[in-house]
Amino acid sequence: MASSSKTSAPAASAPTSSAAPSSASSFRQRPWVRWGAPLLLLAGLAVLPLVGTESFNDTLARIGVFAVAVLGLNVVMGYTGQVSLGQIFFLGLGAYVTAYGVQSGWNIVLVFVLTCLIPAVAGLLVALAAARLGGLAIAMVTIALPIVGVPLAKRLSDFTGGSQGMSARFVEAPEGSGLYDDQWQLYLVLVIGGIVFLLTYFLVRGKYGRAFAIVKGNENVASSMGISPYRYKVLAFTIASLIGGVSGFLYMVVVQYTSPETMSFGHSIELLVAMVIGGAGSIVGSILGGVFYVVVPDITNAIDPSLTALLQGALLLAVLFVLPGGLVSLPRAVMRGLRRSPAGRGSAAPPTTPSSTPGSGTAAEPTETERQGSA
Amino acid sequence: MNRHFGSRQAIGIAAVSALALTLTACGGGADSGRSGDAAEGAPSPGITDDSVTLGITTPLSGATAGPGTCTVAGVTAYFGMKNAEGGIEFGDGKTRTVEIEALDDTYDPQQAAANYDSLKGDVFAMTAGLGTPTNRAWREAAIADEVPQALIMTGDPIFSDTDESPWQLGFVPIYQNEGEAFGELLAGSSAEHKVAILSQNDDFGEGYVEGFKSAIEGADNIEVVQELTYEATDTSVDAQITELANSGADVIFNAMSVTPLTISALQKAQQLNWKPNWFLPSNTSSPTAILEPGGGAAFPGVYSVSFAKAPQSPAFAQDEDVQTYLSALKEYGNYPDPPAFPHCQWSWMVGATLEQAFTEMEEPTRDSFMEALRSIEGFEAPLMLPDTSVTTTEAGQPAVSTVVVQKYNGRGYDTVESFE
Repeated sequence: MASSSKTSAPAASAPTSSAAPSSASSFRQRPWVRWGAPLLLLAGLAVLPLVGTESFNDTLARIGVFAVAVLGLNVVMGYTGQVSLGQIFFLGLGAYVTAYGVQSGWNIVLVFVLTCLIPAVAGLLVALAAARLGGLAIAMVTIALPIVGVPLAKRLSDFTGGSQGMSARFVEAPEGSGLYDDQWQLYLVLVIGGIVFLLTYFLVRGKYGRAFAIVKGNENVASSMGISPYRYKVLAFTIASLIGGVSGFLYMVVVQYTSPETMSFGHSIELLVAMVIGGAGSIVGSILGGVFYVVVPDITNAIDPSLTALLQGALLLAVLFVLPGGLVSLPRAVMRGLRRSPAGRGSAAPPTTPSSTPGSGTAAEPTETERQGSA
Repeated sequence: MNRHFGSRQAIGIAAVSALALTLTACGGGADSGRSGDAAEGAPSPGITDDSVTLGITTPLSGATAGPGTCTVAGVTAYFGMKNAEGGIEFGDGKTRTVEIEALDDTYDPQQAAANYDSLKGDVFAMTAGLGTPTNRAWREAAIADEVPQALIMTGDPIFSDTDESPWQLGFVPIYQNEGEAFGELLAGSSAEHKVAILSQNDDFGEGYVEGFKSAIEGADNIEVVQELTYEATDTSVDAQITELANSGADVIFNAMSVTPLTISALQKAQQLNWKPNWFLPSNTSSPTAILEPGGGAAFPGVYSVSFAKAPQSPAFAQDEDVQTYLSALKEYGNYPDPPAFPHCQWSWMVGATLEQAFTEMEEPTRDSFMEALRSIEGFEAPLMLPDTSVTTTEAGQPAVSTVVVQKYNGRGYDTVESFE
């Protein structure tokens, strides 16, 4: 397993790995930084809902919803390399299960468990068939999910409310907490979304994450090491569906309404775009993808509401052109730019400046010029 | 090791961004914009002594951008014209100009709800937005926040139910109104008729059929011989048309909302040499976009319903209303071409109806506005056809619930009094 993890390391962690100078990493290894940073983050998140305005909290909550959805997509696509165009279906399924459960007056914990289980089972069933296929064939199977989902939601009007959709306002701040509803909603999103992110973080860093990476890298290599590509593809797809279901629950917490439009095919593509823009195969990239999904329509609306589609397209092209690795690669690109500019001015640049750390060689071609510059 | 660097850097970035967000949030005053703490009688948000702001969330891009753009253009043009004249005198004696803030929701309920959240603190009322799911998405939030969702463009009856929707009012006729109008015309015919029904298998089709059946109930001369449905996602209704043609019906009630399907249904019936009278809903009966390519002139009669004057129709080319409307649309509505969708006219009427409510409201509050809005009776808005009017006092009915039945004359539509 030791050798296998070595093989997989560049492929798995290329997007998240950094070419940071060693001084910075030793700074990060100090104990107070190691423990302080997460604690600071936690404290910041705990205070955040209390200080924001209502619309700020609402925007953050919606970012959380779609960050979780993008995270699910990242598990199957970013980490395991299987193209899925059906993620929005699982979000929609989760939202419908939540709406139906709430309207039927079920216990909310039971509803939550069902919004995890039902999409996961649906995902498992689809994956059992789809994962037998390779490459783009999986994309073709998953593309069918939202396309089938929309008419199905309209047809099963006893469960879904037909094309008029379903409302479920079930998240109200508990009496005596002194919180506004929007603050309570944001707390729910932060806690549930945070747990999902944490679990996924450990999943993709551990044994399963390494297996996913090998399956992504080369299925034959995976088989030769005793890792069944089929099993791990099914597993990744099921987990992605489960996370999609959770994001559907959060969708109902925040939006409180679902209709067949929720799972229309266009949104599945938008999720995919958000994942690529944020950074494929990256936890932080999933959050950035959620930010992109939610904030960009608001920004383009503020610029000119009649040109939103055009502006979004232009922005998408611009980001992919400048940052092919997604927004998550921005700090790395900036650092590289900073390091390159003194080196470019003359040979006076100290040769001790580490220009490339092992592992970053696979990342991008500019490292080649850096090597030449410092040599 | 690589991974460890990456993850710690990730946490670092997240922490820094969280801090940055916190700081920005602290900067912008806490708790501002939360509704529900205004004193009694104090002005509602979005209204001052010299202006009032209205919000619209509607599809301005994507598949429904055409009609969506119209819903903004008409009302913007109307108030642009009124503002240029100096504004509108409100019921409290003050003269105000009316500003419109429109946002694009791409027909996505989630985005519509987000748009509503971002607008509700700044606007006095929401209005004119198009779409059933996009309006439903924030209906309950608007009730909780006590923000008017007035004169919106959806045929969904829930918005016209005062008990369920105290802060809402739909503008356009509900589906049932349209089906009922045609049913009444048919029931008044002196001859006997056999009717075939083809309807879309959703609330749209069901609404039309429900209204039609309630109107022909008890009419001895009308017999429904066959009823079929199709899915909105179907690509062909040839099988249904063939089956209905064999039923021997002389009238087809076609509650269909999909343009290409309507054209192919008309064509298929001609191929089968089946020439019944047709009924088509108002949104799929355009003379140029549907009846010309579909060969509507081949049938003895093609009927539809309407309440707005069609600017393209030669009958209204010299009409004063229509000319004012077209020039304002060009000048103030940012809509230089002749409108391709009736939603432009409807939106113009929304403007006129809102003006009626504004002149009646005695206090600059949302409560007073809703009260004024719900007390309009028999108002003949500009561009309205004779025998139709805006009436908001009837329970369970949208602002416009009367429609007139019209018959295709080869170029446009003429209002008919009886079924020939």
